[in-house]
Amino acid sequence: MGIQEVQGNGNAQAYQKKRKAGRGEGFQESLLQNLKNRDQENQTITDTETKKKAENIGVGRIGMTPGIRVNAVAAQEALQAVEVRHMSYEDSDHIKIAVTEGYTLKGKREDGEEARVYVEAKYDDGRLEAYQVEIDRISETTEQEIERFALETMKEA
Amino acid sequence: MEEKWSYLVDEYRAMLYRIAFSNMKNRADAEDAVQEAFLRYMKDGKPIQNKEHEKAWLIRTTIHICLDILKSGWYQKTVPWNESFENTAKSVYLPYQVKDDETLDAVLQLPVHYRNPIYLFYYEDYAIREIAEILSEKEGTIKTRLRRGREEVKKILTERRP
Repeated sequence: MGIQEVQGNGNAQAYQKKRKAGRGEGFQESLLQNLKNRDQENQTITDTETKKKAENIGVGRIGMTPGIRVNAVAAQEALQAVEVRHMSYEDSDHIKIAVTEGYTLKGKREDGEEARVYVEAKYDDGRLEAYQVEIDRISETTEQEIERFALETMKEA
Repeated sequence: MEEKWSYLVDEYRAMLYRIAFSNMKNRADAEDAVQEAFLRYMKDGKPIQNKEHEKAWLIRTTIHICLDILKSGWYQKTVPWNESFENTAKSVYLPYQVKDDETLDAVLQLPVHYRNPIYLFYYEDYAIREIAEILSEKEGTIKTRLRRGREEVKKILTERRP
């Protein structure tokens, strides 16, 4: 574990100060501080990975709009990327045509006891994404587009 | 009418009418265009590979007929007698409920090279690849037209709103 490992991180300065302050007896404190710094560094990496995963499952374009989605982990729990079924408008319980935003949404309530909605999103850049939304895990007042659409689908179905 | 043709008409009439209406913006001309497309298909008699090609052929032909009518000297010198009575978005008769008639109205006002891709993509739910095949264009061209057409729709809506 060298000093280079924490350099470049915002906490590196604190670590270096500690190193200078202590000699032999300060080593343990320094080591503990270094471990803390490493934990924080790992946490930052995990947050970034979580965000990336959320974007990969399709929360990216609609759901990650600033001000709409704050907690990416919660989004992952409620929204799951699933295989696209190429559902038609006729087979959908609810549709949303957002010409000015460049996408369409199709929703269908899934069979079964649990409240689940299948949502298919088609974008004008050619992307096609599908999600399964756990209705019980989302707030009635959610501002996240896919979640809100899933709630509307439940009401329409 | 033979059963084969009867099936064809039942299957595609409503969808072709909507596409024709989005181009002609009046009921009578839209119906004429659809009839002409069916007649050409029946007279042509060429076997078409599969249902998807059949549908694409009919849509493409309907659009071409509409554009031919719109370009004709006779059409440009006349005004359909009932045009003012038709609310364009409501006359499309989509098989699902569209909450935003205002946007559909704006789409119907777009120039033809934007209108057809946007209408097929959003209101008939075709994929970009399918639209490219129907309109005999490259997928990249369709993507560009969808993007630019969307901007045009925004402009129309902004100009309309106080």
